[in-house]
Amino acid sequence: MSDAHEHHHDGHHHPRPASEVELRARALEALLAERGLVSTDAIDAVVELYEHDVGPQNGAQVVAGAWVDDAYRERLLSRPNEAIAELGFGGAEGDNMVVVANTADVHNVIVCTLCSCYPWPVLGLPPSWYKSSPYRARVVAEPRAVLREFGLELRDDVEIRVWDSSGEVRYLVLPMRPAGTDGYGEDELAAIVTRNSMIGTAVPVAGEAAVA
Amino acid sequence: MDGVHDMGGMHGFGAVVEPGSEVPYHERWEPRIFAIQMLVGLEGLGAGPGGRPTREEMDPVQYLAASYYERWLYSAEQRLLRKGTIAPGDVEAMMARLEAGATPPQHRDPGMAERMRAGLASEYPMDPPPPDAHFGPGDRVRVKRMRPAGHTRCPRYVRGVAGVVERVQGADRLPDRAVYGEEPPAEPVYSVAFRSEDLLGPSEEPGWTVLLDLWDSYLEPA
Repeated sequence: MSDAHEHHHDGHHHPRPASEVELRARALEALLAERGLVSTDAIDAVVELYEHDVGPQNGAQVVAGAWVDDAYRERLLSRPNEAIAELGFGGAEGDNMVVVANTADVHNVIVCTLCSCYPWPVLGLPPSWYKSSPYRARVVAEPRAVLREFGLELRDDVEIRVWDSSGEVRYLVLPMRPAGTDGYGEDELAAIVTRNSMIGTAVPVAGEAAVA
Repeated sequence: MDGVHDMGGMHGFGAVVEPGSEVPYHERWEPRIFAIQMLVGLEGLGAGPGGRPTREEMDPVQYLAASYYERWLYSAEQRLLRKGTIAPGDVEAMMARLEAGATPPQHRDPGMAERMRAGLASEYPMDPPPPDAHFGPGDRVRVKRMRPAGHTRCPRYVRGVAGVVERVQGADRLPDRAVYGEEPPAEPVYSVAFRSEDLLGPSEEPGWTVLLDLWDSYLEPA
């Protein structure tokens, strides 16, 4: 039991008794490992992939690329999978990407009311609120009230377009480049592109670095 | 199926933004169960409909009470049980062993880790839009009234409502049949835009648009 993950399992980082569901989850892993059906290193590989390599930092690069390069923006909107692959991103839950661009008159928001479908290759695994019952229930029915909870107020004449990911398409919001970023390089731009701004529950703000 | 997972438009769930709601998970077992559910699929360890339709079959009270990855744990276990990869009682027996202080068994297989990475890097795009799609951009369509007993991608809140096709997204097998192992022919899938007034009636908020991806079988001309 020298493996770091087993320390987690032992409660090293969670000094409390294991809940029933945690014990059940650990037992399922142990059972399948004992029978040689799933490998501990394959599980580790998936966890590490989504904790380190696949996350909103990828989408932020895509957005910044579209902000600085009109030709890339055009490719991103017309052939999104190819344009995203140019930056080295792609894979499960990104099979059919569609990028929806915010404008002065249109604000896009994504949701999956039936499940919690989400564009993993560009945004990683979804935040808890995206998977929550209230978000899935409410954002199609009272989008402005939901956006207000996130601190986002939109003008009454802005059309809100809520994309319910009911099929196989996964959506990414291309936010507008904020004012005050004229001197920014591509990396500085990527640093202000928050995950929520690519879901549509926020907009990027100059000088406000995205929280990792 | 018309279960509690079909949440669009429901009341009573409370606030979206809560303390801790910004992170994908809170406990280490959660991403590990995510990985196990993916491995159950990629390694062919489970049977029957996939993880998503299986989660929809959860008892509704249990579904609402469960956390997101608890539902994934449920679907992984059910799929393993269906195939006979594990037997009833196996998980409980291991729980008892762990509670008694047993060291959790581990298994190393770099090949499986490699297959997993390759699987997660693969993409399976829909077929291109067919030239003979029933509807095209600008066409008015109405979602059929229906009450499917099995998996569907046609949420309740759009049924019976008219909208406008914005584009043809591609062609794909109807999930209502495909998730149960049938092989129906691919059919057009449309991005359909609905006005909020048509979906929900009057609202205190200025009107908005809701767009869904809907298979041809769900739609009729309006």
